[in-house]
Amino acid sequence: MNSAYIASVINSTLRSTTPILLAALGCAICSRVGVFNVALEAQMLIACFTSIAVNYFTSSVLLSVLAGVLSGALVGAVVAILQVKYKAADMVVGTALNLLVGAITTFLLYLIFGLRGKLVDNRLVSLSKINLPVIKDIPFLGRVLENLTIIDYLSYIIAIVLFVYLFKTVAGFRTLSVGINKPAAESLGTKATRIQMEMVTLSGALCGLGGVVLSMGQVTMFTENMTSGRGFIAMAAASLGMSHPLLVIASSLFFGLCQGIGLALQNVVKAQLTNTLPYIATIVALVLFSKRNSSAKLKK
Amino acid sequence: MKHITKVYGSLYANDDVHLTLDKGEILAVVGENGAGKSTLMKILYGLEQPTSGEIYLNGELQHFRSPHDAIAKKIGMVQQHFMLLEPCTVAENIVYGREPRKNGLFFDRSAAIRITEELCDKYGLHIDPRRLVKDCPVGLQQRVEILKVLYQDADIIIFDEPSAVLTPQEVGELLATMRKLAQMGKSIIIITHKLHEVMTVADRVMVMRLGKYIQEMPKSETSIEEMSFLMVGRHIVEREVPPQETTGTVLDVQDLVLAGPDEKNILDHFSIHVDAGEIVGIAGVSGNGQSELIQCLTGLLPPTSGQVVLRGQNMAGRSVGDIRSAGCACIPEDRYLWGCAAKASLTETSIMAHQYKPELSRHGLLNSKGAKGFTQKLLNDYDVRNSGQSQKAGELSGGNIQKLIVAREMEQNSPLLIAAEPTRGVDIGAIEFIHNKLLQKREKGDAVLLISSELTEIMSLSDRIYVIYEGHAAGEFRKADATEEALGILMMGGTLHENE
Repeated sequence: MNSAYIASVINSTLRSTTPILLAALGCAICSRVGVFNVALEAQMLIACFTSIAVNYFTSSVLLSVLAGVLSGALVGAVVAILQVKYKAADMVVGTALNLLVGAITTFLLYLIFGLRGKLVDNRLVSLSKINLPVIKDIPFLGRVLENLTIIDYLSYIIAIVLFVYLFKTVAGFRTLSVGINKPAAESLGTKATRIQMEMVTLSGALCGLGGVVLSMGQVTMFTENMTSGRGFIAMAAASLGMSHPLLVIASSLFFGLCQGIGLALQNVVKAQLTNTLPYIATIVALVLFSKRNSSAKLKK
Repeated sequence: MKHITKVYGSLYANDDVHLTLDKGEILAVVGENGAGKSTLMKILYGLEQPTSGEIYLNGELQHFRSPHDAIAKKIGMVQQHFMLLEPCTVAENIVYGREPRKNGLFFDRSAAIRITEELCDKYGLHIDPRRLVKDCPVGLQQRVEILKVLYQDADIIIFDEPSAVLTPQEVGELLATMRKLAQMGKSIIIITHKLHEVMTVADRVMVMRLGKYIQEMPKSETSIEEMSFLMVGRHIVEREVPPQETTGTVLDVQDLVLAGPDEKNILDHFSIHVDAGEIVGIAGVSGNGQSELIQCLTGLLPPTSGQVVLRGQNMAGRSVGDIRSAGCACIPEDRYLWGCAAKASLTETSIMAHQYKPELSRHGLLNSKGAKGFTQKLLNDYDVRNSGQSQKAGELSGGNIQKLIVAREMEQNSPLLIAAEPTRGVDIGAIEFIHNKLLQKREKGDAVLLISSELTEIMSLSDRIYVIYEGHAAGEFRKADATEEALGILMMGGTLHENE
């Protein structure tokens, strides 16, 4: 195995990580305020579709990205209203929205474009690929960071910003307090329900950005159900990273790596098999993690 | 507070109540559960609005719509159920709501620690600001609540049943703290039904009963007897327990060991026996293995070694169901954790562990008529005040849910009853009632194992008393030989010289 091969695996790891990381951050802030958001998948998928649709008609990358993020936030807002305001059951809301968005995108694909399955068109503009001036000439590192989009970089910055917000600011402290003990937070004047709704909507926006990367990053197309469970992988990543933004980076990279390895092995093993790798990793990781967790609890 | 009336539906929670408080004074508001003390305080703290009546502060009429209004007027409340962020530090909890900032945006945690330290020094209440609240014992958590109120700059501090969750030592510290705060010019209202605390700490006492203002008087002019008479509306009779012959051993615990997480055993070669027709008390400061003992006896925890012989059969390590059917009922120490499900209806609560009886179910199908009848009998016989069987267990007051649990366990008619803290946090009337029921059980010739941290309860009911200290039986007394001093010494880990 030569270094160029390793570099390309790392490169594809980084690319696969971004959507998972963004959605996992969304999931993390929800669980930090005590909301179990199952609709990550829906929040991502709607953005995949909306961004490609806007892209098709406007050919503007910026508008597509904004539309994607907004559509994700919109689904997030629906979750917030149903789950936080009206206290509907989380699994029901999440599952319903995931199925609903899957069906709506398929339906709209046919209604607007008359297409089934996928939308590929040479009018579609992809996110511009960045090749950093000096770094691109360094042999190994250049290949590792080759052709990443601005959102790939942005996702790590978002994670760090979230970390600073949650753990260093007063507003973040109040936000965390809502998840720790909502009645206590309210008894001291924090508008807990509003914070919860804001955070769920924000998670929609983050997932939306993740969806945009998926449909306009490595490929520029929309296919039905193209998120293929990434929302659930993100959920695993968030829980593995204990909803801590910086740890979530690490856990997301782990799942990205599984996808990267899966892609790399496609030439050796059947693709159907390698595609299962991230999901197997999810289960194994969750089992190992919860085992360690429960033994830690016992010790206490 | 003048002419305060609060009506819930058709119930007068407060009926034309007056309350005055002077600066630097400690006022005790006493009354049984449901007497309307808490409602009155909630109105003062802005949590509830009165149906009619007025609140004046320094002569000014006030309208409190929320606790914020009350806090702004320097009224603070230490709630019975703490409102704390457990995974956070002491300092973070104290400054919450008025956090020190850096650059207007960032939380200045080192300033929070400094503020906490200054606050601690000012009021002489010591606590490590960096400690996590969840690592603090209950007494310290309450101290955090008090400091929180002090940080809000309250002049009037309301304590709602502050001693209900504390150990005797912690209660002592709390009362000292209250005295100190009063000396510093804070005005304090304490809601309680523990009358000896009132006698220790209060300047003035106000008695409430059934939502009504009954009487108030300076502490120096009253006595525990008078207060309890006013609270309950009748005299509580001193109980004479006639001696009774015992007939055969029901429970024999031999050499019970429960290993702890480190080398020290939680239960350390613990041996006791309980005979039919007697109440055996286990006295001890809580946290000396009582909880674990109960769990080992009832099958919730398998003991590491040793025997639990129940009516001739070794039940150590057997399941809860097996032990119950072998003849053991249990009034658990924490009524909400072990005793009932807060969201279960009264019917469901009542039939728990009775569900296999033929009048309640057949072939796995519940007989709802039978269950209703059974429940009604329990509610009536044990005087559980309720608003119908579909009411949720968690909605009953502490005393009433405890009576229902006592009822349910008594009606098991088992040869052995384990009663753990059967009267914790319930009012005088309920205490008397539960004690009588325990004594009736004894009269019937059943065995009762009473585990309590209330020494007076142990001493007045038990025929024999064991002291538990660090998981072993530190001493055994017949009722006649037991003195508070001797028990106290053993409970604190001392030894009695005359015994050696």
